[in-house]
Amino acid sequence: MPFFKTIRWVVWKDLISEWRTRETMSSMLFFALIVILVFSFSFSMDQDAARQLIAGIIWVAFTFTGIIGLGKSFTSELQNDCLESLQMSPVPKGAIYLGKVTANFLFMLSVEILLFPLFVLFFNLDVIEAVGTLLIIFFLATLGLSAVGTLFSALTVQIRAREVMLPVLLLPLAVPVMIAAVEATRGALNGDPFSFYSQWIHLLVIFDIIFTVVSFWLFEFILDS
Amino acid sequence: MIAIQVNSLSKAYGFYRIFEDLSFDIHPGECFALFGPNGAGKTTLLRILATLQTPSSGQFTIFGQDGVAQKDAVRETIMLIAHGSHLYDELSATENLQFALGLRGQSPSPPQMKRALDRTGIGAFTDLKIRQFSAGMKKRLDLAKVILSQPQLLLLDEPYNALDHSGVALTNQLIQETLDRGGTVFMTTHDRDKATQIATRGGILQGGHLQLISTEQLTTDAIF
Repeated sequence: MPFFKTIRWVVWKDLISEWRTRETMSSMLFFALIVILVFSFSFSMDQDAARQLIAGIIWVAFTFTGIIGLGKSFTSELQNDCLESLQMSPVPKGAIYLGKVTANFLFMLSVEILLFPLFVLFFNLDVIEAVGTLLIIFFLATLGLSAVGTLFSALTVQIRAREVMLPVLLLPLAVPVMIAAVEATRGALNGDPFSFYSQWIHLLVIFDIIFTVVSFWLFEFILDS
Repeated sequence: MIAIQVNSLSKAYGFYRIFEDLSFDIHPGECFALFGPNGAGKTTLLRILATLQTPSSGQFTIFGQDGVAQKDAVRETIMLIAHGSHLYDELSATENLQFALGLRGQSPSPPQMKRALDRTGIGAFTDLKIRQFSAGMKKRLDLAKVILSQPQLLLLDEPYNALDHSGVALTNQLIQETLDRGGTVFMTTHDRDKATQIATRGGILQGGHLQLISTEQLTTDAIF
């Protein structure tokens, strides 16, 4: 099926390019490490306050780190006018979008999985029982952020001030995902019963579906504009 | 069926008119060379035919398919070799070929790719990353795409730039092969001497208007 083959080609190309340069992942990791260190020192005197705020801190770090990766997703296509070849390729543009979303999702989730142990270490978190739930939350929230972020990355790539415009346009739309992710993460870290915060996880699923379907549909117009 | 049919095509950026009311037909088996001074709109016209830009007014069809309304169908028939090489710096020559052709729904075998790269003179650099390629080598890799893809309509923007003597000869050879199998070639160029060796018809775009020139006129100095 050309649709799935196209997704596979785009993911393969993005992963292999990143593996060879490590440009995106290293920038994301470096930024996130600074955020963790700064927050860790800010709350070093008050661990209780830190535990109250940790879910928010985690998602601020993950979201802004993700924006760095999303920004690079399409700027790499400007090199040698590669964006033109994507535009001109006689394949469904939705497949290119899904390939980009998958690659961005994998970059973001990898960074989150690498960073989370540092949060546990620096903020002395007890997460043994919540690891499974937290992984589901990370998976869903990261999918939502990469679904809408990939669309806005494509939208802003041809704008001169794209580094500024991407967060300006993306963050207002990402706020619902961030709020749901923060609330669900807080519930999981506090050891609350799943039913206490399951509505936030349902909300993440709904946002993921809406963002992916709408972005999938809009992507062709954005790529061709 | 006419390969390219352009009807009253105009393009303007705001109040600035690039060209207006262009009409011409190009038939299968023809190589059309478009000449003109810098800024005349040659590349803009080529990009419109490649479905990368939309005209301000007028219509054009590629093999009977509307270039604006049926972009996807048009894109299946064309290949553009432009200033930008459309190559990824971190991928090797063969990986770039795999990706570019994969997005066209084609999957050439490794021996086919090797043969194409050998023919373009870069067979010794199949695993070298593109960021280590010179401009001429990138151009030759573009030619390898043409060999493997065999498009019905080949759109070339300044095809002789960055190429040495053998590269120019190879380009003209591939154009001839495209024409021999019933394909069509549309190129923009400043290099009249090289283009007239292969072009069957041409035009000069100047002041927003196109003056069509015949095969005989292509070799006449007075027309340029």
